Amino acid sequence: MPKSRFHRSLLYWLAFGAFMCLIPLVASTGVVRLLIFANFLAIFAMSWDIISGRTGYISFGHPFLIGIAGYTTAILTRHLDAPLFVSIPLAVLATLVGGTLFFLPALRIRGTYFALVTLAFMELMYQLTQVIAPKITGGTRGLSGLKTIILGAVPNYYLTFCVMFAIAFCLWLITRTRIGTALAAIRMDEEAVTALGLSTLKLKLFAFGASAAVAGIGGALYVHYIGSIAPRALFDINFLFTILVAALLGGSGTIAGPILGAYFLTFLLEYLRPYLPGAERYFIYGAITLVVYVLEPRGLHSILERAYGKLSPIVARGLAK
Amino acid sequence: MALLEIENLEAFYGRARSLHGIDLAVEAGTIVGIIGPNGAGKSTLLDSILGLTRTKGEIRFDKKSLAGLNPTQIVGMGIGYAPERGHLFPFMGVRDNLLVGAHTVPDEAEKNLETVYSLFPALRSREKQETGTQSGGERQMVSLGRALMSSPRLLIVDEPTIGLAPKICDDIASALQRMNRELGMTILLTEQNVNFAMHLANDIHILETGEIRLSGAAGELRNDPQLRAAYFGR
Repeated sequence: MPKSRFHRSLLYWLAFGAFMCLIPLVASTGVVRLLIFANFLAIFAMSWDIISGRTGYISFGHPFLIGIAGYTTAILTRHLDAPLFVSIPLAVLATLVGGTLFFLPALRIRGTYFALVTLAFMELMYQLTQVIAPKITGGTRGLSGLKTIILGAVPNYYLTFCVMFAIAFCLWLITRTRIGTALAAIRMDEEAVTALGLSTLKLKLFAFGASAAVAGIGGALYVHYIGSIAPRALFDINFLFTILVAALLGGSGTIAGPILGAYFLTFLLEYLRPYLPGAERYFIYGAITLVVYVLEPRGLHSILERAYGKLSPIVARGLAK
Repeated sequence: MALLEIENLEAFYGRARSLHGIDLAVEAGTIVGIIGPNGAGKSTLLDSILGLTRTKGEIRFDKKSLAGLNPTQIVGMGIGYAPERGHLFPFMGVRDNLLVGAHTVPDEAEKNLETVYSLFPALRSREKQETGTQSGGERQMVSLGRALMSSPRLLIVDEPTIGLAPKICDDIASALQRMNRELGMTILLTEQNVNFAMHLANDIHILETGEIRLSGAAGELRNDPQLRAAYFGR
């Protein structure tokens, strides 16, 4: 990437960070709380996108990864009274290990079969949390009254935004490297990548590990933000589809896309709530997603990029005058 | 001195055997053509060299056996591959496609990029263009360029003229000749276009149903009545 382009992108990142830091100064508490959920959804969508958007291995089991982190930290803090600075890193580590197990089938299978295996993992985890040792996992009711990291909407907003921003920035830096390019190449033609002498095994393991780690960070923080964990909410198909749709709608295979999609979806669902209080809201977002996908398969990110491309010369001419 | 030696090579897809006892030698600094119809086993032969298929027999590159090596190790030894129809990354620009080819030799990426642009000047001005939007000829140039990015000593090229107009075929031929003469690269290519291969190669092997039927210098085979009857219809 030419240096000038890199520096320009860096400026955009800084501008985005600065703008988002100013929001709590002007926005209501309700909006700030919505943004917290949007930050979590952005983390989950980015995690999904590392594996599915980058390498093309479509995962239907991401709640499984989020669940490993969530349950690990919940159990450690609830039953062993572990401090959060111990339980959260352990939860991320557990997700990395679980993630390796989760993604091992990818070394043998691909396409629809991979997607189905990952879906089976999510369902398996759902059943296991209810049947195996319900005294520890809380069974169908889950665990509630968990420790929170900090109190208040604004501090939680800054915490979640900083974590989300740091993850996004790190991933963006990775995409600038040879590894990032090679991961994108796998999605387009894995055989060609192999024939060029790249180890697709190592590349996929890297992507799977990064995806699991990000899901682990998000899952552990999420549980301690809402203060509870329940299998029915976590392993819900709507939760899975919200993650997928956020990434696809925003622009899969990009870093800004899943963030855009997460913010858009969170506010869309919330503002539809007064009119459609039930699950029918999901039909609306399904329809919007379909329309965007038909008009621009590369998502909102691409639409905004094109608009920026058209507008920036006009603005530049205006400023020159 | 033979840079690549193949002895009694058999290749398998599941239980089906698709190559039957291939013997072949590619001398350093030469261009060797493999001619054969669809399904003859040309691509399988090239895939076998790269370690992409299950094989029996012996393949040696620069006197070292390739048995048990994976494609990463084989490419690292100095074998570059331009597959049939390019197999490019369609949503990536030309430059990024080329850079993926330099993954095994990152320190040589910039130098090799210049070499590719000097061979195919049209690519320099289009380095940001996504290869999915390029013409067949341009894509073939990117494919050859990408194979060059790994600094290979042996370049294997699978049907470089497939689906291309005669003028583009001439451009590809002159690029391959320059690679051979100016860069000292040994080239093993497969073709169905007999004239193209005959014009370019020093040695020719005719491959049919997984067996080599005829071998010899291109100049000699051009007048072989068996070959003329089979491929030129006279």
